[in-house]
Amino acid sequence: MQYEFEEILETIRMTEIEHFDIRTVTMGISLRDCYDRNIEVTKQKIYDKIIRFAKNHVKNAKEIESQFGISIANKRISLTPISIPFDSYHSEEFIEIAKILDKVAEEIGIDYIAGYSALVQKGMTNGEKELIKSIPYALSQTKRVCSSVNVASTKAGINMDAVIMMSEIIKLTAELTKDKDSIGCAKLVVFANAVEDNPFVAGAFHGVSEPEVVINVGISGPGVVLDAVREAGRVDFQTLSEVIKKTVFKITRAGELIGRKVAEKNGVPFGIVDISLAPTPAEGDSIADILKAMGLEDVGAPGTTAALAMLNDAVKKAGLMASSSVGGLSGAFIPVSEDMGMIRAVQAKNLSIEKLEAMTSVCSVGLDMIAIPGDTPNETIAGIIADEAAIGVINDKTTAVRIIPAFGKKEGDFVDYGGLLGKAPVMGVRTLSSEKFINRGGRIPAPVRSLTN
Amino acid sequence: MKLTEEEIRKITFETVNELGRDATPSEIKEAVRKKIESMANYDLKLKQGEVTSGRVILTSFGLNKPGIVAAVTKALAESNCDIQDLSQRIMGDFFTMIMIIDISTSNKDLKEIQNEMAKVADELKIKIYLQHEDVFRYMHRI
Repeated sequence: MQYEFEEILETIRMTEIEHFDIRTVTMGISLRDCYDRNIEVTKQKIYDKIIRFAKNHVKNAKEIESQFGISIANKRISLTPISIPFDSYHSEEFIEIAKILDKVAEEIGIDYIAGYSALVQKGMTNGEKELIKSIPYALSQTKRVCSSVNVASTKAGINMDAVIMMSEIIKLTAELTKDKDSIGCAKLVVFANAVEDNPFVAGAFHGVSEPEVVINVGISGPGVVLDAVREAGRVDFQTLSEVIKKTVFKITRAGELIGRKVAEKNGVPFGIVDISLAPTPAEGDSIADILKAMGLEDVGAPGTTAALAMLNDAVKKAGLMASSSVGGLSGAFIPVSEDMGMIRAVQAKNLSIEKLEAMTSVCSVGLDMIAIPGDTPNETIAGIIADEAAIGVINDKTTAVRIIPAFGKKEGDFVDYGGLLGKAPVMGVRTLSSEKFINRGGRIPAPVRSLTN
Repeated sequence: MKLTEEEIRKITFETVNELGRDATPSEIKEAVRKKIESMANYDLKLKQGEVTSGRVILTSFGLNKPGIVAAVTKALAESNCDIQDLSQRIMGDFFTMIMIIDISTSNKDLKEIQNEMAKVADELKIKIYLQHEDVFRYMHRI
């Protein structure tokens, strides 16, 4: 037989038992040609353009799913950061745009549409300021729109004014969506070194250097890696790294195949495959479980950062070999609410925000889906964002903060969103004040590393 | 599909000859456009044909009992599928069977054959998966 018996069974086992799926197939669409002085005309242009390219996005993806027997968990859309084409608008008009995005997403049949974004690492235009001010209202008045703001980069440093502003925006978003456990914050990401071709919502947007329209793919296979690590047993680190690499190689290849086929079916170019390990709340589909299978008693034990670093590196190396179109974030994700193992570690008080922060220095993407008490001061949230941005800027990597100051909740409570967003225990935050530091304002200059020319 | 200026000129000349002297410029323009479009479609079909073979891998497993191979092959034969390779293993009470089938001769598409096989799987209380060959080629062959 052309294929070995074991090879075929391995593929079946991955897709049927170990939750291997394509986490997201995201269509990036440029909106740069949709501006008009009249907001109604703009809305129509946006609507028409998205429908034109994406009306069959879900149907086509489903056909590919059944053809190859690999499920595609999410079909999504990312857009040009809204602040760029529509810079002359005011907050109220931006909210109108958010509503039309929500409507079009519903009609196409997708759960999230991302790109309600601004890139302000060095400074803000008037339009960007207006967009950022509108975020809490846009997120509370829509269901499917996701927002992100880039506040820092290795080349520009950290825009602390934007960091302070974002801490206020996050708090207000939490308050405006308090009826649903502050769910607005789960759709809002603050980035350092945001990438332009990231397919993973909520932080996805269609960067300015991207083509008119593109298909990007994010793969997900923590369950597959977990089983491979378990099966490997007590082997040394080089061997373990080999085992992880071999597994990830295969799932990346499958991811690229699916991406190319979906792109072909939609008649749009294929962009990148993002080789991130993204967990889901399903049992066994967990990064925390991989770290435990590597030999840690629980996530948070000394050695956790080293284990994660090794895992992340092996994932990257295998992905690079498997595809020439690797891009996006490409690393392991450690969202708390979306990973049962992480939730348990937080509940058992084995995992603190500080340890999570250390872990984010060796993996993508950052402090993700972390619930903190609703009365956490703005300056403390700004401090958390600044710390995370500093890790990104100095190490020339992407970092992000998606933090939920759960309105009216305190440490030990839960926020529960169900579905892929999962549920998160509210974690304790240090009460030491960052106020005087944060309120200096201005911009933390770009590091030496930025001077590479 | 990209055409060179030379090729477009050739197509236009042909069209002018076909339509004769009485044709208006807009008629000629329309006819040329149609021709180029149909060429583009043809080109696309050719391309897809190259990438995708008509082969599908069928994997089935479950509790062993008489008649499984017969039922599966019968359903495939009814759909006009060509079985190119077959391999089977029994482990204790369980059987696993893998087939490589060519469905390009079938009048049904993969989706319809999957539905047919789902019925068989249901009757026999076994699992049957049909997946396009490419996924295995991509994962296990460099």
